[in-house]
Amino acid sequence: MTKTILIVDDFESSRSILGRTLENAGYKVMQGNDGEAALKILDELSIDLVITDLNMPGMDGISLIKNIRSREDYQFTPVLLLTTNSKNDKKELAKEAGATAWIEKPFQVEALLNNIRKMIR
Amino acid sequence: MDNIKARFLEEANDLIEDLEKALLELENNPEDKNQVEKVFRVMHTLKGTSAMFGFAKVGDLTHDLETIYDFIREGKAAVSSEILSITLESVDILKLLLNSDQALDHKDEEAYNRLTKEVVKLAEKIEGKPSDETEQEAAILEVESVKSYYILFRPQEKILVRGANPMYLLDDLNALGDCKISVHQTNVPSLDDIDPVLCYLYWDIYLATKENEQAIKDIFMFVEDDCILEIHKVSDGNILSNEKFIQKVEEIEGDVSVEDLKEFVKNLLQILKSKGNAEEKGGSATSKENGLGSIRVATDKLDHLMNMVSELITVQARLSLFAEKNPNPELDAIAENVEKISRQLRDNAFSICLIPFENLLTRFQRLVRDLSIELKKDILFLAEGRETELDKTIIENLADPLMHLIRNSLDHGIEDKEGRTKAGKPAQATITVKAFYSGNQVHIQVIDDGRGIDPVKIKKKAIEKGLVSDEAVLTDKECYQLIFLPGFSTAEKVTDVSGRGVGMDVVKRKILEIRGEVDIESKVDVGTTITIKLPLSLSIIDGLLVKVDNTHIVFPLFSVQKCYEVTRSQIASAFNNMIAVDGEQISFFSLREQFKIENNYPEILQLVTISHENQKVGLVVDTIIGEYQAVLKPLGKLYKQLDIMSGASILGDGTVALVMDTNKVIKEFSNKILI
Repeated sequence: MTKTILIVDDFESSRSILGRTLENAGYKVMQGNDGEAALKILDELSIDLVITDLNMPGMDGISLIKNIRSREDYQFTPVLLLTTNSKNDKKELAKEAGATAWIEKPFQVEALLNNIRKMIR
Repeated sequence: MDNIKARFLEEANDLIEDLEKALLELENNPEDKNQVEKVFRVMHTLKGTSAMFGFAKVGDLTHDLETIYDFIREGKAAVSSEILSITLESVDILKLLLNSDQALDHKDEEAYNRLTKEVVKLAEKIEGKPSDETEQEAAILEVESVKSYYILFRPQEKILVRGANPMYLLDDLNALGDCKISVHQTNVPSLDDIDPVLCYLYWDIYLATKENEQAIKDIFMFVEDDCILEIHKVSDGNILSNEKFIQKVEEIEGDVSVEDLKEFVKNLLQILKSKGNAEEKGGSATSKENGLGSIRVATDKLDHLMNMVSELITVQARLSLFAEKNPNPELDAIAENVEKISRQLRDNAFSICLIPFENLLTRFQRLVRDLSIELKKDILFLAEGRETELDKTIIENLADPLMHLIRNSLDHGIEDKEGRTKAGKPAQATITVKAFYSGNQVHIQVIDDGRGIDPVKIKKKAIEKGLVSDEAVLTDKECYQLIFLPGFSTAEKVTDVSGRGVGMDVVKRKILEIRGEVDIESKVDVGTTITIKLPLSLSIIDGLLVKVDNTHIVFPLFSVQKCYEVTRSQIASAFNNMIAVDGEQISFFSLREQFKIENNYPEILQLVTISHENQKVGLVVDTIIGEYQAVLKPLGKLYKQLDIMSGASILGDGTVALVMDTNKVIKEFSNKILI
């Protein structure tokens, strides 16, 4: 079954290139430009994996993750966090919030797909 | 333990047989690397395992021999006759050591000590010090840089809530190489207390991979802070390919102690080092090591199987008879099916009990080799029909008589060097052992190109010994048969080899015991061929059931050709026991006349033609009942002398049928006429 991935990023070109890549890799892709939009999509659709940027206006990545984990039907849904550089304190926070995995920008497509494969199959 | 030991002995003996074979091959072709490899491997295996079973001496002796062959293997030394002789002598001692529970007697002990010294000397001569053992260890588990790891993966209970899936991680590990995963479920609480979002499981993972430790860690990169993760390298090599290790791992209950595991692996490696080394390296130990191409079964189990099959066939005969007497289509169908299946079962059980003739050959090869050295004769030993299969009981009983025949050929048959030159023969004599099928029989021939048997000489000797009278007129064939009389020996002098007085008569008796025959053909100065004719099987035969008055008789079906109806007057008026059937004159014998049965002489009789030594001979009986599977039972002590009957068989209704040896019957009857 095709897995659906939700990409949350405020930066559109980044979101689309990521989306295109994942679509080419065989995933179904949904996009949201901030946390609120993401939550709306999560409510409406069944999402298998969330990829979210850390820094976003409004609801940032960490708050989004916390929110996701608080929803019963998304407790176990893996969340991949995109971080710009290695801000370890943030990473810790993200993990505490419930992020499943993370990857630093810029990343190789291969590395990203590998990480995704660690979470959904 | 005793069981394991018995199994070890069995294996060890097999190995030694292989070893002997390889050594003899090597003698013919010293360059044969495969054989060197084989020899080395056997030595290696014996060395490694024998000590574990208390055969310390075997271990010591093979250790040094192994060293020698290791050198040869590596090209540091060449196979020499010296090495081969010492090895072969050692093989004898090894056999003694393995097969006698007691200590060696004085003589053998001395031989052992001498040999060990010689072997050590030889090894030292080839090179100062024996090879480095650690090098061999690397060779056992040679697979490049594969390493084996033990990994403990114990995630925190809340790992699932973070969206991680441990199963995917295990999958990834599995993808790295050979992987064995065992799960601990001890922490799973009872159903009432279970929290479905928590992970209660944890895992032991054994992984053999070419990847390094970092690659393993990478798999756990997102969860490493949320779990207990221990990665221990337990071995340089793929320990997971070892059954014992897997077994050990499966036996572990509760948590794994890394120390324990490492210790176990260390011990295992030591055993492996001595055992598996060359096998994995050479890669030539195919069938024996690789799985279940064949299994080993105790012979008494096979005997039991054969007995059960015999019983089944007897019962089946009863069923068939019952079905015949109580017409009922359903019963008929069942009886027919049972008959078909039991027949297949019988054939199958037979084939299980068949052993290729080759199993005997190594012994002979060795015998010829040793004797030709002792007697200073140059002899080429050939074997044909190695793959010919015989019943295992026959093979067992055949070894000694054949050994004797070959010995005789070597000693008496083959001339010495001068004798051969004088006779204009090549200096190298040939002894051929040949096995082949002939109808329902297996023929085994021992053929030599020696001086042949002189019937005149034989007869003279027999008269001297008072075995035949002066006036007896004997054909050449009959003269040859004199050799089989007890106490007959024409050897001019008694050698160490043969001519000890026990001899051909024992051979003949042994062959007769397995319902075989011995024939001799010989030509002076050309050679001798001794043929042993044996039945294919000893216990169940297809037969034709006939009746004479109220006696049931079974003819072996393979010798039956055709049946004809004849009248009493035809038989009575026949001249010279000849009768015309199918426009052909054939000689016949009436069983009624031969056995002097006068009761209820029927007017219509049946003539069964039997093939006998390329001729048709008729046997006249009262009625023909039909085809019948006869389970042969011995006639018992009292009828031991009666060789025209090969046994008896119990019919479905419980009556006894005699199984007739048609060849012998016809011979016997023909002799009566001659006299």
